Amino acid sequence: MGSHRMRTLRPWLLLAPTLALMAVLLAWPLGRVVWLSLQNYGLRELNRGTTNFVGFDNYVSVLTQPYLWTIVLPNTIGFAVVTVVGTVALGTLVALFLATLPVAWRYLASSAVMVAWAVPAITGTYVWVFLFDAADGLVTHALGGLGVIETGSVNWFLERWSFFGIAALNVVHHGFPFVAVTVLAGLLTVPTELYEAAVIDGAGAWRRFWSVTVPVLKPIFAVVTILSTIWDFKVFAQIFLMPGGSGTNREVFNLGVWSYIQSFAQGRYGLGAAIAVLLTLLLLGITVVYLRTLFVEEDL
Amino acid sequence: MSTTPAPVIAPVAPEESRDGAAPLRADRTSLRPWQVATLVALLGFALFPAYWMVSTALDPRASTRGGSLLPSGLTPRHFSFVLGDGGFGAFLLNSALVAVVTVLISSAVALLAAVAVARFRFPLRRQILVMILVAQMVPLEALVIPLFLQARTLHMLNSLLGLAVVYLAFSLPFAVWQLRGFVAAVPVEVEEAAYVDGCGWGQMFLRVLLPLVAPGLVATSVFSFITAWNEFIFALTFLQDDDKYTVAVGLQKFFGEHTADWGPIMAASTLITVPVVVFFLLVQRNLVSGLAAGAVKG
Repeated sequence: MGSHRMRTLRPWLLLAPTLALMAVLLAWPLGRVVWLSLQNYGLRELNRGTTNFVGFDNYVSVLTQPYLWTIVLPNTIGFAVVTVVGTVALGTLVALFLATLPVAWRYLASSAVMVAWAVPAITGTYVWVFLFDAADGLVTHALGGLGVIETGSVNWFLERWSFFGIAALNVVHHGFPFVAVTVLAGLLTVPTELYEAAVIDGAGAWRRFWSVTVPVLKPIFAVVTILSTIWDFKVFAQIFLMPGGSGTNREVFNLGVWSYIQSFAQGRYGLGAAIAVLLTLLLLGITVVYLRTLFVEEDL
Repeated sequence: MSTTPAPVIAPVAPEESRDGAAPLRADRTSLRPWQVATLVALLGFALFPAYWMVSTALDPRASTRGGSLLPSGLTPRHFSFVLGDGGFGAFLLNSALVAVVTVLISSAVALLAAVAVARFRFPLRRQILVMILVAQMVPLEALVIPLFLQARTLHMLNSLLGLAVVYLAFSLPFAVWQLRGFVAAVPVEVEEAAYVDGCGWGQMFLRVLLPLVAPGLVATSVFSFITAWNEFIFALTFLQDDDKYTVAVGLQKFFGEHTADWGPIMAASTLITVPVVVFFLLVQRNLVSGLAAGAVKG
């Protein structure tokens, strides 16, 4: 065993398969997507195997379109902000509630809450589509029964705001259990003495939350917020599978869906690649913040 | 030093440490009225979509149930339709095949890498860890274009095996990151004891480390399985013949052909969802914990 040479070599031998696969499946495709984004690359180039470089034309075309600034970016960033705030707020409230429960109930309730997380995005999305279906949905029948609207008279998927309202409900419902169980796990590690001291100082529940819970759990809130942000920027199936989301309603595209439609529905791979690069850069920016948070709290 | 800070799973925290320090510790075992009310509201919100899916799948008059909360009866008809004419029997098998291949490769490869980053100090280690983290943020929309073009050139579109290999792009970095936490949680002394007993590195790995990391390996595998099972964008782009569809594409195509036929659509959704929920609840105890424990200490 352990000659010095072997000891320096072993970690690299162990890492080699992972690094090779990541090079082929991640690094190389990312390089290729940048390379594609600098070309007017369509079906003709694809079939002939030729290149067609146009410099930054695709980026100029994307960045100068009012469509990007008035529709796609608000649909991406606005949606992410709303869903992240919703997810973290609801998840935290649920965690605070679960922490008050007796142990057996807490275990039961957190398992049940986790079902919402476990339901796949694809099938969950179709359930929300059914619930809000214009003709057969529960919501239209319930509102019709209450006399708020005439049953079957409103199609919420046609209008941008209601479309994203439903999508936000779907995404928050799917995302809050992760925040809830993570914050709950953190809450259970906060030393009870801190709360006891706060009670002696006369702090109410609201005050205790902001001056004990939040500061102690700050790293946890940072991690769940940033992870939720990254996930909610990348939302694809939840938009694509809703009526109109796969191409017929341009009002509801976000960056990911727009990139996909340009590439695979329009055959404009170069333009689609440029949009994908912009999305990647946006996520990279958030990732840098994530890493800085992580390195502050942990010595890797 | 601490356990995994990043997503989802990490080594199990001992149960007593979780319950000992509850900030608003509940000494009673019964619920107060406001807790009952909140619990009902919470469970209603969390479980209602799943309930609506299953109850519609069983409802003989599914599409016209409208606002009625209970199904009008119970029938297996929609299930037999989607499994027969709908082709979901084959889709479920395809998804299982893809997910199993992805899990086997990514778990084996990732475990080796996890041992490297958790147990060895070597130059560039930190950079590799950062790279593995960053890799998890890459949007699939950016990978699908070049990988589709490449697979098309190599005539690997429409291949379930090709799809399983592509899934390594996102399951591998995730698995390395998770397993790293589990490996780090095994005390080094255990390894040293094996060396004292005359084991070589290989023997120590197989006889000592592997059995101790096994629970973490199972949890990580279950999660990789679920992500591969649920994956939509690559499956949609790569698979063209309906006998090759995985459940996600199968469901999307089925929805396109049977719009408003909610009984079968919800029956298919139920078949896709149930295995995932069962797996998920099985490993959920490993799920909570580590993240928070590690973060607070720091």
